[in-house]
Amino acid sequence: MLHEAQATAAAGPIVSCRGVQKVYTLGAVKVPALNGIDLDIAAGDFATLAGPSGSGKTTLLNMIGGLDRPTAGTVTIAGEDLGKFDKNRLTELRLHKIGFVFQAYNLIPVLSAAENIEFILQLLGIAASERRRRAVAALKDVGLEGMEDRRPAYLSGGQQQRVAVARALVARPAIVLADEPTANLDSKTATDLVALMARLNAASGITFLIGTHDARVIAHARRHIEMTDGRITADENCHPNDALV
Amino acid sequence: MIAALRLLGPLAWRNVWRNPRRTIITVVVVAVGLYSILVFAALLNAWAQSSRETTLNLLTGSGQIHAQGYLDDPTVSRRMPAPDAKLQAALATPAISAWVERVRVPAVIESEYKALPVTLLGVDPARERRVSTIPGQVAEGSYLSGSTDAGIVLGRHLADRLKTRVGKRVIVMAQKANGSLAEQAYRVVGLFAGNMNAEDAYAFTGLSTAQTMLGIGASISEISFDVPDEARLGSVIAALSRVAPGLDVSPWTKLSPLAAAVDSFMRAFVYIWLWIMFVFMAIGIVNTQLMAVFERLREFGLLQALGMRPRLILLQVCLESAMLIGIGVVIGMAVSAATVAAFHGGIDLGFLAQGAEYFGAGHVLYPQLAPIQFAELSLLIWGLGIGVALWPARKAAKSSPVEAMSHAS
Repeated sequence: MLHEAQATAAAGPIVSCRGVQKVYTLGAVKVPALNGIDLDIAAGDFATLAGPSGSGKTTLLNMIGGLDRPTAGTVTIAGEDLGKFDKNRLTELRLHKIGFVFQAYNLIPVLSAAENIEFILQLLGIAASERRRRAVAALKDVGLEGMEDRRPAYLSGGQQQRVAVARALVARPAIVLADEPTANLDSKTATDLVALMARLNAASGITFLIGTHDARVIAHARRHIEMTDGRITADENCHPNDALV
Repeated sequence: MIAALRLLGPLAWRNVWRNPRRTIITVVVVAVGLYSILVFAALLNAWAQSSRETTLNLLTGSGQIHAQGYLDDPTVSRRMPAPDAKLQAALATPAISAWVERVRVPAVIESEYKALPVTLLGVDPARERRVSTIPGQVAEGSYLSGSTDAGIVLGRHLADRLKTRVGKRVIVMAQKANGSLAEQAYRVVGLFAGNMNAEDAYAFTGLSTAQTMLGIGASISEISFDVPDEARLGSVIAALSRVAPGLDVSPWTKLSPLAAAVDSFMRAFVYIWLWIMFVFMAIGIVNTQLMAVFERLREFGLLQALGMRPRLILLQVCLESAMLIGIGVVIGMAVSAATVAAFHGGIDLGFLAQGAEYFGAGHVLYPQLAPIQFAELSLLIWGLGIGVALWPARKAAKSSPVEAMSHAS
C-alpha cells in the first residue's frame, strides 16, 4: 500500500518551518515561546522533540498541527503553507494529513474504542462497512483485538493511548504529532507503546514527530531534536536505541 | 446534511445521557413548562368557548341577517321581507344547523306599577328552541306555544322590577310601521331565568302576534342562524351575502364585539402565558447547556483538532439541545393530553359557578385543545428552546482548539 507519506518523501520535507516565532501576550507582558525555528521533517521520519518544560515543544507541535498560528514565520505541511489557510481549511488539513496523540489520551468518552476510530473515518465520509473494517484492523494493529466495543472508561491508560494511536493512524495521515504520549503511562506500558509506534512507523512509513522528555521514547528515535527557550539547540540523526539518553 | 446527522445523531444522543441528573432536570423543566402552557391553553379555550356559547346561544347565534342599517337603528322601519326561496335554499346548507326569523323592536312594557324599556321579540317558539337557550330556561309558567301565541314571556328579574308575575297582564307599547304607537295587552305566560342582562332586556311573544301588533305583515327584523363549525362561518357569510346582496349579513364577532374581544383576549393570553413560561424554561435550558458546554470545552477542542469543522460542532450541540428539549416536549405533550382527556366530561366550577356566569361563562367548562394548536404550541416551545441553545452552541463552535484543550487540562 502506497501511503501519502511515502509518496511525499521524494517531493521534499513533510514539515517545513521557517523563522517560526510565537509570542504570547499576558496583559502588558510579552512572553516569547518560539524564537525563530527553522526545521524540516522528512517523510517517514521517527523524530523526537525534547526539552525541559517551557522549552516550546508543545507550542511548536501546535504550530505544525495547525492548532495555533505563529506570530511570525511560515509552517508548511506537505507543501501547503498553513498561514494561508482559514479555520475551516486548517480543520480539513488536520483531518486529512495530521494525526494527533495527546498526553491525556483524549478519546471521546461516549464512543467505544472502535467508534472513536470510526469517527475520523466518518468525518472523511467513508462508508459504514469500510469504516468498521478499518477500525477493527487498526485496533488489531495496536494489539486491542476484541476490545472494539469497550468504552474508554473500561480501558486502562495504556489501552486508551493505543486506541489514540490507532485513531491517529487510521486515516493514513502524512504525519502523526504526539505530545508527551507516555507521560501518563507506567514504565512497561510506556515502553510497549513507544515500541508499537516505532513498529507502525516502520510498517506504514507515516512520519512521527513526538514531543517528549522520556528517554525510552528518545531511544527509539531516528532523529532527535532538542529545544531550549524556544530555540532548537540540537538536531541529530541517530540509530534507534543509540540515541542520547 | 443527512450525512452530518448520521454522524452526529448517535453522538448527540449519547451525550444527552452523559449526565443523567442534569438531563432529567432539564427534561422536567421543559415538560412542566409545556404542560402548564398546554393545560392552561385548554382551560382558556374552555372558558372562551363557554363564554362565547353563553352569549351566542342566548339570541345571537353564529350570525344574523338584517335589513341594511338595522344594526345602527334597530327599529321597525328597518325591517326586511321574510326570506325568499333563494335565501331559504342558502340557509338550508348543511353548514347551518338551524335558523330562525324574528321580529325585534324596542318597546316599553308597563305594569300597574312601573313602565320599563325592553326589546320585544316576536318568535316562532318551536324553531327558536333550536337556536336559543332561553326557551329552555323558563323558571315559572311556560314558554310560548306557537307563532300566534298572544302571551308574553319575561325575564324573572324584569318581572320582579315590574312587580308582575305569571298570569298577570302587562301593556307593551311600540312604534308601528306607519309611525303610530301600537299598544297591546299581553298575559304573562312564563318567566325565564338566566343571564341577568337578558332577564332585564327581553320580552318574547309569538312572531305573528308581534307582526300583527306592529302592522308589518310578514316582514321580520332578523334571521339568526347557527354554524356549528366556526371554520366554515366565513364561507357561509360570504354565500349568504351573495344570495341576499341587499341585506346585511353579519358574523357574531360584529354583532357581539364584547364576546369577540373576550375570545381574542383568551387566545392572546395563551401566547402571553407561553412567553412567560418560556422565559423560565429558557433560563433553565441555557444554564444547563452552558454548563454542559463548559464542562466539555476540552472535548470540543479535541474534535476540532481531529478535523471536525466548527459548524458541525455547532450542529452537534444544537442536536443535543433538540433531543433534550424534544424529550421534555414529548413528555409534556403526553401528560397534557392525558390531563385534557381526563377532564373531557367537563370541570364543574361548583361554588364558583355564579362568579363564572357573571363573567359570561357557564358553570361547567370543557377543556379542549385543537390538535393543530396542541402541535403548534409544542413545536413553538421546541423551536424556541433550540433557538436559545444556539448561544452555548456558538460558544462551543467558536472555541479555538488550543485554548479549549488547555482550558480543562
